Amino acid sequence: MSKQHERGILSDSDLKKPLNRIVYGFMILGILVMIVTMLYPILMTMFNGLKTNQEVNTFPPHFFPETWNWSNFKEGWEYIDLPMFLKNTLLVFVGNLVMTIFVLGLASFSISRLRVPYHRAIYFFILMTLFIPASSYMIPNFVNLKDLGLLNTFWAFWLPAGASAYYFLLMKNFFDGIHPEIFEAARIDGASEINSYVRIAVPLSVPIFATLAIFIFSSAWNDWFWPSLVLHSEEKYTLATAIYKYVISARSMDNNIKFTILFMVMVPPILVFLVFQRFIMRSVSLSAVKG
Amino acid sequence: MGEPGTVLQPALKNKSPKRRGLFKKHFWGYMFLLPAVVIFILFLWVPIAKGALYSFYEIDFVKGNTFVGLDNYIRVFHDPDVWTAVKNTLYYMLLTVLIGFWVPIVASIAISELRKFQGFARIAAYLPFVVPGVVLYGMWRWMYDPVGPINGLLSSFGVDPVSFISDSKWSMIAIVFMETWQQFGSAMLIYLAGVLSIPRDWYEAAEIDGAGVWNRIRFITLPSLRSLIILMFILQVIGTSQAYQSQLALLDGGPNNATLTYALLIVKYAFTRLDYGTATALGMLMFIVLSLVGLIQYKLNKEEY
Repeated sequence: MSKQHERGILSDSDLKKPLNRIVYGFMILGILVMIVTMLYPILMTMFNGLKTNQEVNTFPPHFFPETWNWSNFKEGWEYIDLPMFLKNTLLVFVGNLVMTIFVLGLASFSISRLRVPYHRAIYFFILMTLFIPASSYMIPNFVNLKDLGLLNTFWAFWLPAGASAYYFLLMKNFFDGIHPEIFEAARIDGASEINSYVRIAVPLSVPIFATLAIFIFSSAWNDWFWPSLVLHSEEKYTLATAIYKYVISARSMDNNIKFTILFMVMVPPILVFLVFQRFIMRSVSLSAVKG
Repeated sequence: MGEPGTVLQPALKNKSPKRRGLFKKHFWGYMFLLPAVVIFILFLWVPIAKGALYSFYEIDFVKGNTFVGLDNYIRVFHDPDVWTAVKNTLYYMLLTVLIGFWVPIVASIAISELRKFQGFARIAAYLPFVVPGVVLYGMWRWMYDPVGPINGLLSSFGVDPVSFISDSKWSMIAIVFMETWQQFGSAMLIYLAGVLSIPRDWYEAAEIDGAGVWNRIRFITLPSLRSLIILMFILQVIGTSQAYQSQLALLDGGPNNATLTYALLIVKYAFTRLDYGTATALGMLMFIVLSLVGLIQYKLNKEEY
């Protein structure tokens, strides 16, 4: 923040008029209400996870717990096999990331920099898929995975991870932005295509790979529906699927333990967000402008 | 980039005839594209093509598929659930516009005017967006509970408790409200980038010309956001027309089919009625309708400019 505030819609002299001051006050009040509405359910989930089951079920609900039951965490951790589901989720995440960077990185580099004959046709072939609504081919997609024998394996996530026109577009736009002279110079010095990709493009692409990593992490962490169709043995479930099957759909389960588990699942993405927030918020607005 | 890397053979050798030379020159370019092309064909284009094909078949994983002509489509048009689902989807889309669409626009303008704690307001607004879906459902099922916090607040105003989830009047509204809570932050950031990119001098000039605050918003801010608003509206229509996950997770399409959306019906046809052929036919119909909407929108856009 600079010391001198840059004016927005309102100037300093506007704020001296009484009517404007009142409206501005209401606006700040509105923003405060919004902030409370945003934070309340999240904090409530956390505090409910620390209450006794009895206290969670009292009406009207208390905000802060009467007694802080840290042992809920131990109980929640042991309620279902969280480490196993966590391991599966991380496997899906890492595999998807490697596949996306390998398949789409090479392809977007080729389209952006190597300019082979008919590259426009191939570009069009990839981008067309953006305009076909995903749920219209959800069922044939499932049947297709079954025909390929990929059901109940992680390959059902890893292989299709390379088929994302949106991530392709993000990377292609990034490569377009690298100064072409760098590659020209490398070619004159005799670097092959592979060398100029591995030695020049990849080191420069760390920011876009990081953006993709965050996107792919959040989808691996959040998706519950598709994994619940594709995987059918318990030891393969991802975290979100396991939570849906065993916690959200559970009929008889102590509410406080339920909230403890929900809180534990919510913490990693929130931490990732808070640590990388500047970076994430920039890529959100960037992706909209370009896409 | 000082290091050129290990020097290999020169990439160009002009000895071979033209065609082969061209291929050799572009060999790596094509090799780089090959994996993506294979993956896109195998996991996107094949399912899409199979979708068109399977809609005319009865799918049986054990006995094999049989061609049934238009039977699947005829079944679709005779199923009263399909009409319920179309109606519910339209109702849901209308609600998302009424309840959710304007919120991020207003919030982005308001937050852009904050002089302190702007960063904090942004983070708070975006935070729900990183809450995983399954946590969202658990959290809000309790928020909406007859003995949950929202009813607690209502009862302190003397309002009778409302069972938001199991009352079919409220269930869809409850879902839209929950989703707005989660998603408006990301739309807000996009609008905020737009609001902040408007040149400050325009406001300065307008103020000198005597334009009040409201007129500045109406004649400068909103027109500058126009194309962004239209884009977000189209994206929202495309997205909400395919919604099913919250409806499935919170209510399984109930109470009494009040939250059975079209995409949820596709899921139900496939995975509860195990009728993959009809499910695929429903998907094809959705594809045709959405393409038509896209085409009309494209035409309208062209006329406008």
